[in-house]
Formats: sequence, C-alpha cells, structure tokens
Amino acid sequence: MAEQLRPDEAAQALARIREQQEQVIDALSIPDWYWWLLGGLTVGLAAAVESADPTVIAVGTAVFVVGLLVGTGWVVRAGLRVKVRNALLGARGIGLILGFVALTVAVSLGLAFSLQSGGVNRPATWGTLASAGLLAVGGPLLTRALRRTMLDRRGPR
Amino acid sequence: MTDARFDELIHAPTRLAIVALLAASEWAEFKFIRDSAGLSDSALSKQLTTLEEAGYVEIRKGFVGKRPRTSAALTPAGRTAFAQHVAALEEIVARAGTTILPRG
Repeated sequence: MAEQLRPDEAAQALARIREQQEQVIDALSIPDWYWWLLGGLTVGLAAAVESADPTVIAVGTAVFVVGLLVGTGWVVRAGLRVKVRNALLGARGIGLILGFVALTVAVSLGLAFSLQSGGVNRPATWGTLASAGLLAVGGPLLTRALRRTMLDRRGPR
Repeated sequence: MTDARFDELIHAPTRLAIVALLAASEWAEFKFIRDSAGLSDSALSKQLTTLEEAGYVEIRKGFVGKRPRTSAALTPAGRTAFAQHVAALEEIVARAGTTILPRG
C-alpha cells in the first residue's frame, strides 16, 4: 500500500493530521475576553477594598467571586472534553506562563507599593489597573505564543 | 529517530483523523472525537472498536455525576504505530521533493 500511495496523497494525509491536531489545541485556547474579564474583576476588587465602605467591599467581593467562577468555568469546560498532551506545552510553554504571571504580579505589587510610599491615593487600584492592562494586552499574546509552541511540538514525539 | 512503517489500519481516513486527534491528547471524550472528526455515533464506535482490537486505543467508560461518559486514549503501541506511520508518509513526501508539500 505504501508503495502505491502517491506523494500528493501522503501530503494530504499529513495535512489532515495537522488539522485534527489543531482542533485539539484550539479547543483549549483561552479566549481574549477572558483576559479582559480577569483584569476588570481585579481592578474592581481593589477599588472596592480601597473604598473602605463595607457595602461596596461586600458587593465588589461578590462580583469578583461570581465573575471569576463563571468566566473560568466557561473557559475550562473545554478541558472536560479533551486533555491536551502534557508534552506539547514543554518547558518553553511552562516558562512563558510562569514568566507572565511573575511579570503581572511584580508590576502590580511594585507599582502599588511605590505609589503607597509616595503618598498617592488608592495605590492598589492603580497597581491592579496596570496589571489589568498587562493582562488585556499580554494575555492574548501569551495565548497565541502557547498555541504556536504546541503546534510546533505536536506530532508523533 | 522514528522508524518509518506504513500502517494500513491507521491510514483509513476516518481512523487517521481519530488517531491524529488522540495523538495530540492525553485522552478525549467520545463526543469531542465525534464532532472533531465529523462522524456519527455508530461510525465512531465502529472505528474505535477496530482500533481497540488492534491494541492502539484504550476506551474508558466512567460517570460524571450520573451521566455516563466514554473517553478514548492512544495506547503506547498506538502512539508508536502513529509515529511510524507519520514517518512513512513524510518519507513518501520527501522522496518526491518539496513541491507537493501542503501549505500550513
């Protein structure tokens, strides 16, 4: 059979394999809106806490928890249908995720503490606003970088 | 380096789609495979049984809450056979040169 297979048929089969594997990777991609939601909820919570008004804090916390649960639940529901092979992410993918988390936390805390020591009002809100900007811009970039990494590492390795 | 070995069982279009999808996964739910490969329930069941009998696929049945859930995963033998099959396809393409390589 292998001898009878034309090169263009073999190429088509390889293309079909790539398409199927892309479907697995794309099913687990984080949508752009999720990063915006995460940023918005974090800023909202920080602003609510800094308001020092118990009612605002209670409402802000409730919105944060519900928003995070609903948004994250929607995103991870695809993970209940298929689990992408661990090896596809690799050390580079894990490094990208950890690096992004570390950068976001460092920017948020660094800015907040700097503003606090400078006597600026609502330092945590400003700090989380900066990290929300990072999430909104960097999150989709991270998603695309992870997708590329997984596509590069797919195949029969 | 993977040895090239053309596998007729895997090469059938529907089975190739199923095995390719499972090769990128640790496991996949029956409905996900069905929708991604564009197969009916019965067609997918038939192909999964063929692959299971060949020792390429492991079928797991469980429950999520009260709902029955079936998932499938490639066995190590299935992963090796797929790797060898892909190597065989790449070899055929390579022998013909780069002119017929698909885009993307």
